[in-house]
Amino acid sequence: MILTGLLLALEMSGQDDRTLIRGLQRKDSAAMAGLYDRFGRTAYSVIFSIVRDGAVAEDLVQETFLRVWNRAQTFDGERAALGPWLLAIARNRAIDHVRSAGARMEKNAFELDAHEHPSLFVDMERDLVNSDHARVIQKALAKLSENQRQVIHLAYYEGLSQSEMAERMGQPLGTVKSWVRGALKFLREEIGEALTV
Amino acid sequence: MTCEELRDEYGAWALGIAEDPERTEIAEHLARQCPVCVPGVRSAMAMVTAMSNIVPSVEPPQYLRDRVIGMVKRGGKKSFVGFLLPWAACAAMAIALVVIALPSRSKNPDTAKLTEALSILNDPTAKQVTFGETAQPSRGRVFVSGGKGVLFIGASLPKIAPNKTFELWVIPAKGNPVPAGTFQGEADATAVYVRPGPVQGDAAAVAVTVEPEGGSPQPTTTPFIVIKLNGA
Repeated sequence: MILTGLLLALEMSGQDDRTLIRGLQRKDSAAMAGLYDRFGRTAYSVIFSIVRDGAVAEDLVQETFLRVWNRAQTFDGERAALGPWLLAIARNRAIDHVRSAGARMEKNAFELDAHEHPSLFVDMERDLVNSDHARVIQKALAKLSENQRQVIHLAYYEGLSQSEMAERMGQPLGTVKSWVRGALKFLREEIGEALTV
Repeated sequence: MTCEELRDEYGAWALGIAEDPERTEIAEHLARQCPVCVPGVRSAMAMVTAMSNIVPSVEPPQYLRDRVIGMVKRGGKKSFVGFLLPWAACAAMAIALVVIALPSRSKNPDTAKLTEALSILNDPTAKQVTFGETAQPSRGRVFVSGGKGVLFIGASLPKIAPNKTFELWVIPAKGNPVPAGTFQGEADATAVYVRPGPVQGDAAAVAVTVEPEGGSPQPTTTPFIVIKLNGA
């Protein structure tokens, strides 16, 4: 597991979100370069951890950055957090890909637009990806039961729906839902407070 | 459902694993900017995003940076934008050719069709997706504008019997496919089809089936093209 630590923290603290967003809104390719330099590795890592295929990950990274480029006009750079928005788009692209590849699209229609709406990233801490948070999250995950950890893993890395998890784990849906709910409630209590401003 | 009932599902929704009815209910609360659910989901989104911290770090290849920046650099070689523009140009040209080829017979309807197509192409909010680069044998591009309509450009389409037709479907996030008109392919297995007018509901995908002449109210065959609209 990583913890990208100091290098990542340094990378993320380079340019100001507002400057980047203004550049993206002006369609300045230098802003795209700045954006990639800040978030490229993290976005690639998130996507690769889900799709497990370098070539696919590269394509999805391109889609992610192009999405940000095309949607920058809708983004309120004064209030919304650019990094979390981009990383949400990255993860969504990856999950969407594995679901499509597994012919699970219709069963698990994933409202990408809704999950990526800039309003969901308003007043959010901009520096969500840093080594301090990593430690807090690792610690919180370690406190979960084995089953709770597993459902979070299946959700985050494989995008399995709760019904699919129930099938995979050979457990009743109600039990799986209870594990998911319990795990997320615990994580929210442990780390959620620290993540909003 | 009430906000209180949905509260425990914010995390699952943010992870993309909520199931109906909660999934739809939360989306609806968000769509109307619910003052309770928006901050609740926002907090859950922050938590999910922060989980990126524990993802194993993988160094992307060096050339990926150039590819990403190249997509938006004017005149960049093999850029993604460079890839999109020919499609748009081809669409416009293809439609223009239709107009030129049939000037005397039906100039006004074809001019109208060209106008409709260009209006979809010019809509900055239109979703546009390339298909057929991997699994699907047919290739092409589709543009979906919520207010203007659907423009479908396809190549390598299958040969169909004279009493059959292609039928385009708009598939909403929830509910049955909505018929979006029928069209025929050209002799070279290509087709450019414009379906003007607002697209009902939240289109999640576009599909094409082969149907009996005149079309069907619901698909009667398996779609040979399914294009997910990811908003790219």
